[in-house]
Amino acid sequence: MAYKNNKIPFDEDNYTHNINRNNERKLDRRGFMKTLVGAAGVFAVSSLPWGAMAAKELAGLGDKKYPKHKITAVKSIAIGDAVDFAFPGEHDSAILIRLSENKYVAYQNACTHLRCPVFWKKDEGEMLCPCHHGKFDVETGAPIAGPPRRPLPEIHVKVENGAVYAVGVKRYEA
Amino acid sequence: MKRSYVPVILLLAVLMLNIIFTQYMVHQYFYEHYTNTIIAAVINVILFPIAFLIYKKGVNVND
Ligand code: FES
Repeated sequence: MAYKNNKIPFDEDNYTHNINRNNERKLDRRGFMKTLVGAAGVFAVSSLPWGAMAAKELAGLGDKKYPKHKITAVKSIAIGDAVDFAFPGEHDSAILIRLSENKYVAYQNACTHLRCPVFWKKDEGEMLCPCHHGKFDVETGAPIAGPPRRPLPEIHVKVENGAVYAVGVKRYEA
Repeated sequence: MKRSYVPVILLLAVLMLNIIFTQYMVHQYFYEHYTNTIIAAVINVILFPIAFLIYKKGVNVND
């Protein structure tokens, strides 16, 4: 049986009595410089992820890839006309507008206000949302009137072999 | 030998540059100027060995 005398070997209120370093409380010039170098190291290390993320964006890995999607044949869309389609998913309705011989623009056509479908008003040359009369610039998708404050997401299109294809969605910019 | 505070001042300058470039890097990232982001990150990384060299020189000569 263990013998206990219930005595404390010596009086102490200092639980770090066995840790001894010279000048441990003193911040001298050398210690201060060490701290500064350490801080520089922390900055260097914490820069790495930003550099990596930027490199990734530059390499184009940040863009989501969607399979290209045929919208319509060039023949069946006259200059100034629009067609509806869905891209990238089958429920993401979108609109393609042919502005001139070779200029096509496409946007996701859910209004950025409350998601009503935006349509193309040919004679006024702007995109109109019927719900609260929001208007969008057809060249850029930027809101020009009414409640919407954000641009319509642009869809990249490409003309190939007499047909118009949707190839990607422009990154959303706040 | 009288100790020199020049290395301390230099290190403080390096740290200031670190702060500046870090802020610049983060902002350029959100502005989507990724090349600038990378440049700032590289500078930040290079500043560390510079700081270390300043420290080395500073302690050897003067303490
Ligand atoms: S939903 Fe388009 S303006 Fe309100």
